[in-house]
Parts: sequence; C-alpha cells; structure tokens
Amino acid sequence: MKKIKIKELIEKIEGEAELDFTIEDGRIEDVKINFGFYRGIEEILQGRDAWDALVITPRVCGICNHAHLIAAVRAIEDGYQNAGINLLLSEKAKKIRSFTLACELIQNHMKWFYMTIVPQLEAYLQIDNRQNHALKATYLSSTVTKALAIFAGQWPHSSYAIPGGVSCDPTHLDLMQAEALIDECIRFVEQVLIGMDMAQYLDISSVSQLHEVGGDLGRLMHLIGSSGMATLGQSYDRFIVFGESLLSSSGKSIATAVSKVDPRYVQESAQDESMAKAVTYKKRLYETGPLARGMVAKRPIIKSLHKRYKDALLTRIFARMHEVSLLLTESKRLLRELDLNEPSCTLDIDTRCADFEGTGIVEAARGSLIHQTEVSGGLIHRYEIITPTQWNLSHGSGDEHGIAVEAMIGSKSIQEATFIFRTFDVCSVCTTQ
Amino acid sequence: MGMDKQESVKKLFTAQSAKVDTNRGDAYYEALYVKCQERLDALKKLRPLNNRRDFLSTIEDEGLERRDFLKWASATTAMLMLPASFTPLVAEAATLMNRVPVIWIELSDCAGNSEALLRSDGPKIDEIILDIISLEFHETLQAASGHQAEKQMEEAMEHFKGKYLLFVEGAIPLGMNGQFGTIGAKAETFVDHLHRAAEGAAAVVAVGSCATYGGIPAAAPNPTDAVGVMDVVKGKPIINIPACPANPSNMVGVILHFVLTGQIPELDSLLRPKFAFGYRIHDNCERRAHFDAGEYVEEWGDEGAKNNFCLYKMGCKGPMTFNNCSIIRYNEGVNWPIGVGRGCIGCSEPDFWDKYAYERPMANANIKAPTGGVEKTVDQFGLGLLTAAGIGIGIHAAASAIAGKKENQKEEA
Repeated sequence: MKKIKIKELIEKIEGEAELDFTIEDGRIEDVKINFGFYRGIEEILQGRDAWDALVITPRVCGICNHAHLIAAVRAIEDGYQNAGINLLLSEKAKKIRSFTLACELIQNHMKWFYMTIVPQLEAYLQIDNRQNHALKATYLSSTVTKALAIFAGQWPHSSYAIPGGVSCDPTHLDLMQAEALIDECIRFVEQVLIGMDMAQYLDISSVSQLHEVGGDLGRLMHLIGSSGMATLGQSYDRFIVFGESLLSSSGKSIATAVSKVDPRYVQESAQDESMAKAVTYKKRLYETGPLARGMVAKRPIIKSLHKRYKDALLTRIFARMHEVSLLLTESKRLLRELDLNEPSCTLDIDTRCADFEGTGIVEAARGSLIHQTEVSGGLIHRYEIITPTQWNLSHGSGDEHGIAVEAMIGSKSIQEATFIFRTFDVCSVCTTQ
Repeated sequence: MGMDKQESVKKLFTAQSAKVDTNRGDAYYEALYVKCQERLDALKKLRPLNNRRDFLSTIEDEGLERRDFLKWASATTAMLMLPASFTPLVAEAATLMNRVPVIWIELSDCAGNSEALLRSDGPKIDEIILDIISLEFHETLQAASGHQAEKQMEEAMEHFKGKYLLFVEGAIPLGMNGQFGTIGAKAETFVDHLHRAAEGAAAVVAVGSCATYGGIPAAAPNPTDAVGVMDVVKGKPIINIPACPANPSNMVGVILHFVLTGQIPELDSLLRPKFAFGYRIHDNCERRAHFDAGEYVEEWGDEGAKNNFCLYKMGCKGPMTFNNCSIIRYNEGVNWPIGVGRGCIGCSEPDFWDKYAYERPMANANIKAPTGGVEKTVDQFGLGLLTAAGIGIGIHAAASAIAGKKENQKEEA
C-alpha cells in the first residue's frame, strides 16, 4: 500500500483554498481543506455601535454581501423584538428585501455555473469549447443586479435595508424598469440556460422528463450522465435549512425524512490548523445550500433526482441551477404584488434599544447564513457570523469527515475530487472572514 | 444645532475643497492633443497583445451601433475632464486598449471590486473590457487555475517586465509576519506577493478602499495589522481608486487615460485621480437643491423620504466625501445609494469604517472634512511605450456568448 500526500490549490472561487490530499492505492483517502486568509471581522465589530454591523458585515463577501446585510438587519430586528419592541414590517418592505435577495442568488448561481462548473467540467473531460462562458455569466448577472440596484442603490455592498424596513421608496416607473430587466433575464435563461419555456420547465417533476431540458444546463447534465459522473460526490445525505425564504421553510432532512430545527442547537468550534471554524447541529454535520432547500421543501424534481442519484453531484448541481428559474418566476410575482402605498419603514426614530440579543437568519446563495449579535449599552458586545460554507467545508469532528470531504473521499483522481469540491460553490472569504 | 456648529458646517460647505482645474486654456489642450495623437500613433504600430480582437468589429459583433460607442466615448471624455474635442482620441484610445498589459491580484479582500468590474459601465463595456484589455492575469477571470495559474502569472510578469499595470484588490495584512494572508502552494504571504508583483510593474493601481487604505480589515482594532498598497510599495507610481466597491468606470478611466497619454492621471494628495475624486458627492448630488432649501429627511420612511429630500440629517457623508458617484452612479448608471434614500457612508475616504460607518449625523460625528491640503501632482510621470505580442493566457473573449442570444432572436423573428 502506497500512501502519498499532494497539495492542490483551488482558485476561481471567492478567495482561495488549499486542499491537502492523502491518496492511497490511487484513491483519495482523506482531504484537509485550508484557507490561508483571515481578516477578523467579528473582532472588528466588538465595541462598535450596534447599527455599524449594517455597513461592516456586507463587506465580508463580495458575492453574497446582500445576504449579510439582510442577516445583520434581521439580527437587530430580532433583538428589538426580544427586548419587547413590537416591530411590524410592512409587506412592501418584506417583499422588496425578498426580491433583492433573489436577485443576488440568481447572479451567484449563474456565475458559479458559467465561470466554474461548465469550464471545469469541459477541462476535465477534455472538451474543446471555444465559447466564452464567462460572458454569459456577466451578461445575466449585470442585468439582474441592475434590477437589484433599483431598490438597493448599488450592488455589491448596499446598505438600504434598515431596522424596520427599507430606505427606498420606489415608484411605478421603478417597478416597470425592474420588471423589464427580470423579463430579459427570463428570456436569456429560456434561450441559453434551459433551452425551453420556463413555465414548462418548472412543471418538470421527474427525472424521466429531464431530457426535455436543453440549453447549457441540458448539455451539462448530459455530459455528466454520459461520462459516468452522475453518482460521484455523495456525502451523508443530511441537510439543514434555518431560514424561511421564497424557496423553502426551515427544517432538516435526513434520508428524505423532514423535521423541524431550532437554531439554538447550532454550535461553532475552532479547528486545528485552520482559520475557519467548524459548525454542527446537535453535534452532527449537515449540508446546507440549494440541495438542502430542495430536499426540505420536498420539491418533486429534486426528490426524483435524489431518489435515483442520492446527494451526488448531479443532484447538487441541478438543485442550484433550478433555483434560478424558481427565483426569476417568484421575483416577477413579487414585483406585481408590491403595494407602493404601504410604508417603507415602520420603526420610529426615537425607538432605540440599547441592550438586546438577536439572531438574524437568511438563506444565502450557499445556504443558511446566521448572524448573532449581543448588544449592551448600544455597543456590540459579541458578534457571531456563521456562514454556509462553514457547514459544508469543515474538516469534520470525531469519527465523521466534513461534508465536502466525505463527498471527495474515494475519488479516483485529484481532478475528479476538486470538481466535486467546486459543486459546493466554495467561498473562502466568507468561511474565514 | 448650535451657532458654532452651524458656522463650522457653513465653512465646510464653502471650502475650496478640490482644486480641479477644468480649464487650462487652449494652449495647454492643443499641446496635449498633439501629444496624445503621437502616443496613439505609436501604440497603433504595436501588435495587439494575445491576438486580442479588434475593438470595432467587437462592437459590431455585439450588435452595438457605432453611435452608442461614440456616446460612451463623449461621456468618458467628460468624465476624464477633457474638452469635447478629445472625443475622437478617447474613442481611438479605447480601440487600442489591447496594447496595454494588465495584471490583477487579489489580497485581503472580499472580491467585491472584481464583482463590480464584471458589471462595468458603458455600451456593454464589460464584455468589451474582457475582450480588449489585455488582462494578462486575473485569478477569478482567467481560464487556468491552481499551479498552472501561478505559472502563468510568473510568465506574464517576466514577459511584460516594466510594462504592465498592476491592479491590486484587497488590503495587506502585516501582523504575525504576514501569516494572516497567504497565497499559492508555497504559502507566500500577501506582502511578499505584492512586492514581487510590483517589482516589474510600470505603475500600481490600488482598487477599492482595502487596497488604498487597508479598508474594512484595517478597522479598529485592526486584528491583522492590515495596510494599503501605498504603505507597502515604495518607489513606484501608485494610483488609488478607493470606494467600496470602487467604481468600474474609474478603473476603466485610469486605463484609458494611460493608453491615451502614456501617463498616469493627475492625482490628489491621497493619490486619487482628480478626474474621479476632484469633487464631493455633495457638489453634484441630485438632492442638493433640497439641502439648499433646508428640506431634510428626519426619519426613515417619513414624508421627506417619500419626496427625496436631503439625507444630511440622516448622517449622509456626501459633504465630506470626494467621489464621482453622484454623476456616474453604479450598476451601469441604474442607481446609487442616495437614489434609494440611503445617505453616503463616505466609503472612498480614509478610515470611513471607523469614522463614518453608519447614520451618526455629521455634526455629532467628530470628524473633519478633508479640505485641500498639499496636493502633489504626479502627472509628470511618463511611461515607456508598451510592446509585444503576448502569451496566450487570460480570457478568450468571444462574441459567441451573446451571439447565441442574437441567433435565437433571429429565429423568433
């Protein structure tokens, strides 16, 4: 038996990661995931005005900054509620926040697909494709972030969400402009990504109908299937969702049995030789993200794929890209339902709370993002940011490997393993902060 | 507000803040015009790097009218604070962007500036940038990754030694001997990486507030002892493009200016190009009339907010922030923070994360507006002409992405 150790650098993610592989008899036996990067955002937040988190935390991440903003604002709102202040957000404010979050998820998924998954798979399978997939990603993400900016002012790093609502006061003209941009995204997705009518696509409920999907998504699924990769990358088949969103409610799914969760049982712990902290729920590891949302929501097509391929990379990739069409359809509905006569912000300026503890949860592109704030005398005493990537990429605990590590173990090559790694949509800047 | 505070605020707003000379007289501009023409003629004789595509045919491929391009060129000419007569030169410079090699590195950051760059300004200029600028190395955008990418960066640095523009995104953590940030398989620290990359650069462009001043990582207590590029790199021309994120138009502006004149743009005392940072947000704010009329938002969601009144009392830092967002805005000009009723947080000013962060109104914020000061002009600086056919790395831009769309549209028609 020959054991070798190989270091591999992973780029083209947000930041950089290093994987240390242990290979035995040509198969991957263990992987250590390292992030050589630390800024200390939680330390920086200590001692600051409670509301400063609204400006500082989005800057944790350039690609899911908006999710951080919403988590930070929800943590403060939750704290105010806990302190006995009755905060009733208008439907308008809630819908605008849902809409902007949806836009952020869409741009993220499209960039991941076209800048990471498609080119990496083509390289792995040695397919010569002269198309520049990156341009497809930038076209769609710039279109959808324009719609986002109509309400949020700019993307990345906006600060328009404030405790009690939003600062913007959109007009009908803004809504028309946003809807036109969403329509353009739908057109692009129908023509380029899925190659079919979006409503028909969303009606697909079983694996047997998936051959109808065309476009780049259809082509990718076909490539994965025909190269025998569909069942690679299975992990523990345990999923967790903490946030309520357009896509699912909260819950956990273990081998298709869905039950409730309580964020109080989330535990963070430091890991040896890593700047990232590990996180568990009742001492067990769970996968979070689009596949988790699909499983907890019991979405028929995801369940059907899961039945055949379990939590393998095909299911994981499809679950993420499926959210693009779901979210575009939902965001269009949100725009139509928006009642502009409702107030934007309902928190009175004199209502300030100096001592509170609050938790803000949001379903970000990569899964559940949790912010916890403890405020005394108006200043932050403790701030915890638990990011989705911490769930998926920890080293593991006790006798269990981490989620992504388990998915990579048994791979025949480093190339195969790193492709599996990327299906988790890795973000190192969020993980280590 | 007490009388003394009122007085100090009044003084602040009438201070001669920027000292941008937008009219230097005919003789100056005529001489500059001739110089730019010579520069462009010289560049034209060079072969494009990396067999980049021709700019004009790219525009046609993207289905853009030449008129759209000229519109963009005249807007960009205005942004660079040049007379309208320079428009044809700016247009020509844009077509020659493929003669200037650019290397882009990411340090202690959130990748937000790269994200912003990807949705840059102009007539689909984002695609055109990917097509035309000779981006010799960019971690997120290039095709290769891992060891292969590292090798490509080495090669690009060697090949274009002394000629490339180095764009740096992110702060440099100096604490623990730089161990808070390492890169590559050899775990090179960010600070060593930057020194090595800057060594052969013609000029270094710090993109975003992290690269300029240390940014969010440098916020108190600065756990990683993070600093900006200008604190680390010495003996090289440095251009800072702060803001969080930096505005892509200003990134493009710096490159264009360099292509056009062979020089870095005129800078202020913080090494920021004056064309972008010569005025305060407040000077050109769409809500300025409400400030002058004393009409303020007093509380989020109030009548004032509904009527787009001035956000000064909600803590807007526009009066002390030098940047051109009030003119060029964000996300292809769709909007900007003040457009959604959120005051400016002063993200292009030093220490904004400690001094300006949230809605502490200015009069209580214990801050001083940056006014004037000694301003060094670095526009004497000249760079040699840029050369060479390139090695084939980076992005192979393609019309096909959007062409796919066009074909489909034809089918529909």
